[in-house]
Amino acid sequence: MAVHSQVNGTTAIPWRSSRRKLSLLEQLKGCQEAWCPGAPWDREGAHAAISGTPAGSFLVLRDSVTSQPILLCVSAGGENGAVLDYNIGNKGTVFQLNDSRLSFSDLAQLVLFYSLTRDVLAVCLSIPRWIYSVTDKNKDRLSQLEPDTWLSPPEQQTDEMTNRELSNVMCSIQLTSTNGALCIINPLYLREHGDDWLTHRASTTPCSTQPSNYRRERRLSTTRTWAGAGLQSKRAISLDQEPSAAFMESSGLTRARSADSPHCPPAPSTPVAPAGVVLRRPSQDSASRLPHRASTGSLQPSPPSTPGSLNCAASELQCHGSPVPQSPHRVSWIEDGVWLPPPRPSSLLQPPSLELDSLSISSIEEEQDFQMPSPTPHHPSAHRLADKVIHRLSAVGQALGGLVSQKKRLTNRVQELSERRGGAFAEAVKGFVEMTLKRGADPDGVTGSEFLQEVRSKLTSLRDTLWDLPEIQALLDSITDLSDPAIDSLVELSLHKVALKPVSAHLYSCIRTSRTNDGCFERLRSNLRVLEQNGVEELGGSAGVGIPDSVSLERIQQRWTAMHDAYSPNKKVQILLKVCKSIYHSMTANASSGTVFGADDFLPCLTWVLLRSDVVTLQQDTDYMMELLDPTQLQGEGGYYLTTLYAALYYISSFRPRLAARQLSVEAQHSLNQWHRRRTLHCNQSRRSVHRRTIRRQMCRVQNSETGTESKEESGRENAADQSQLQTESSTEALQPLREETGRGQGGEDQSQTSTPVLDCHQQEVIQEDRQEDRQT
Amino acid sequence: MALRELKVCLLGDTGVGKSSIVWRFVEDSFDPNINPTIGASFMTKTVQYQNELHKFLIWDTAGQERFRALAPMYYRGSAAAIIVYDITKEESFQTLKNWVKELRQHGPPNIVVAIAGNKCDLSDAREVTEKDAKDYADSIHAIFVETSAKNAININEVFIEISKRIPVADGAGGTSGKGFKLGRQASESRRTCC
Repeated sequence: MAVHSQVNGTTAIPWRSSRRKLSLLEQLKGCQEAWCPGAPWDREGAHAAISGTPAGSFLVLRDSVTSQPILLCVSAGGENGAVLDYNIGNKGTVFQLNDSRLSFSDLAQLVLFYSLTRDVLAVCLSIPRWIYSVTDKNKDRLSQLEPDTWLSPPEQQTDEMTNRELSNVMCSIQLTSTNGALCIINPLYLREHGDDWLTHRASTTPCSTQPSNYRRERRLSTTRTWAGAGLQSKRAISLDQEPSAAFMESSGLTRARSADSPHCPPAPSTPVAPAGVVLRRPSQDSASRLPHRASTGSLQPSPPSTPGSLNCAASELQCHGSPVPQSPHRVSWIEDGVWLPPPRPSSLLQPPSLELDSLSISSIEEEQDFQMPSPTPHHPSAHRLADKVIHRLSAVGQALGGLVSQKKRLTNRVQELSERRGGAFAEAVKGFVEMTLKRGADPDGVTGSEFLQEVRSKLTSLRDTLWDLPEIQALLDSITDLSDPAIDSLVELSLHKVALKPVSAHLYSCIRTSRTNDGCFERLRSNLRVLEQNGVEELGGSAGVGIPDSVSLERIQQRWTAMHDAYSPNKKVQILLKVCKSIYHSMTANASSGTVFGADDFLPCLTWVLLRSDVVTLQQDTDYMMELLDPTQLQGEGGYYLTTLYAALYYISSFRPRLAARQLSVEAQHSLNQWHRRRTLHCNQSRRSVHRRTIRRQMCRVQNSETGTESKEESGRENAADQSQLQTESSTEALQPLREETGRGQGGEDQSQTSTPVLDCHQQEVIQEDRQEDRQT
Repeated sequence: MALRELKVCLLGDTGVGKSSIVWRFVEDSFDPNINPTIGASFMTKTVQYQNELHKFLIWDTAGQERFRALAPMYYRGSAAAIIVYDITKEESFQTLKNWVKELRQHGPPNIVVAIAGNKCDLSDAREVTEKDAKDYADSIHAIFVETSAKNAININEVFIEISKRIPVADGAGGTSGKGFKLGRQASESRRTCC
């Protein structure tokens, strides 16, 4: 296909004629003097000019001395004509809003970006409509514009320019949230060449023959790699300015695919549509045919094998498109999962018919569910197809969009699958629920952490079952703008809803039984009475550290309640983080600036708060979270604060005024070691051979190093006498295989060195006991 | 480029400046508006090391004696530990030695240990000589630097050194020759992944 091969080279792109549309970025640059005026404009002047203009109207002001852009003034709209100021930081050649971490290599890119997504702004910047109509021919006019014109172009001029050029306004800005490409497709190309470049590949590479596992793996491996795709790219944004971006990206995609997938023959001459792309601005043309857009159903996809069918295009995208390769156009977000799609920009200056759609092309595959027999014409006119693509995207975009809906779709689908009569997943869930309810009800059965560990292990295998369902895979593959951890977390959450929710009350009663039996609650209650009068300083905090006031404390109590009520451990941890944040806030409220409070102060403060809370319930919640949380969550912030909560509760429950902390360490270490080991094991067991190499590698390293310890230890010296002497004292916990614990058995002579200088005899005994227990295993 | 998450725990007496070191390390990447880190007791920073990205997940521990026993919960699973002492407090150096011993016995095998003598800006009040500390660190094959969180001296260096000593991700889990030896290295065969 000659046309297609042209597309790959930037030099041969057909629309690059003198009459081509300027990209919006070029247009913005062209009239930069209008929106970023020079000397005479100061803040007051700008405010006066902006005040009363529609929301999003803006000007950028330069410093009077350095001429560097320093302030972005944005109209908030409304009747009072409020104007918001945002400072612009300028580090070397990089521009950014001071409140944001997104950096841009020039001002026009910054403005363009914030016209699409507001990020830290209150409203999206609004770019006057008439600017879309500027072409090469009339671009000289841009440089003559002045701020007043920029803010309120004369009606005449607008109409004139718009009328003349309206039919050519085809600038589609596309933006995704995490792989974040901002690219511009020139629909002129679609018009000229149709869209069989979209469908062509589907016939040469049937998606259905692709092993689903391979697909998943590829998605994981490639996105994983990007997740770390360079610190630089995480901070710098590169907005594309060539209309050919999408196609250049496509060729990049081809390369990337051929590099990591032997299943997919490289086809460098065939462009592939960029996937994971969100159309934000349908063209004027599509908007002008608005009536068509409502009839989503009339555009029925045909079976994927039919050439020319849109569904095929969708499959194609799903097949090849999901992993958008690293490209200069990428906008990488700072922290995976932090960013949520902002509300869609609504700008009064946009033409009213211009609907702002937000959708992922690849999510069209959703519609495979609604397959209809009506075949698409085999060789439709290119023009029609081009329109169809646009219409289709717009229509789908109305139904979908953003993370929230993806999450919802996943949750709904999982729910549906769990209720599907006779389905493998439904059966597995049913079995899990029945078994769990039965197991804990047995009075002689295990009710404690061991039981919860089993539950976690079953949850993990349920999740594997879920992952292996083609429907879920397809759905997950369509989510291109989330990081892997975020997707894992989504899957986990949907699973909690169907599997954990029905049993959570029962699990709590098991925890209660177990903790009542082991005396933990009793210890907590009695030590609470001993400790509750202690202030933060008596608990070890430093003098300057603040504590929550009564209002904050009340709020914290409400959050504890919410945490208790949540059934998902992930959700609970999120609430815990909120509590920790408010504690931190109280700690630093009165502190002099520059004081850094770390764990030295946080642990005492958290303990102080716990002493004023329902520790018995919190202990149950902590057990629930620790045992049921997804193992991959453990090293991060949630894991840290959960560990700290666990530690603080342990400190309270094992507090002995005379015996310093050493004794509690025995229990705490046991418990935590067990917890950690189990998670490590589970993580390895789950989907051992599949896909998750990057995560796996990490986990394996932990596990293997631990088993390595064991092997070494087995041959190490042992203190046999101590062992026999103390064996009988071991708790039930110690009877469990605490493999990594064996690493501690170093013989009694070491302990005086390890222990703190002021240990009394009792403590040393306890340590020995601890070690002996380890050795038993 | 591969991203690796490295859990690093901070040990040392209370008041030696553990959290100040972390704060200093992450401050240029820290933006409360975008990355709402809860507080200085857990912070992350990603740095590039050769062809990998190392995301440090830094776990601070409470240094008070009374919480000493809780430390295993924190250092478990760590790829590296930074043990901090205060060069103006001899006692904090003794505590450091105890931490080293504890890590040898209870810590993860092959954990990379870095010793940071903080507050090196206060050399007038110095109680621990640099040579003593360096000799000790060498004897246990630990990374050693004197730091000043206050003046931002050697802070990044600590983490760069840690990156260097972290075993390479692939290659059958081989460890760096300079790594902190615990005297019971895991056997190679056992460490082969999956």
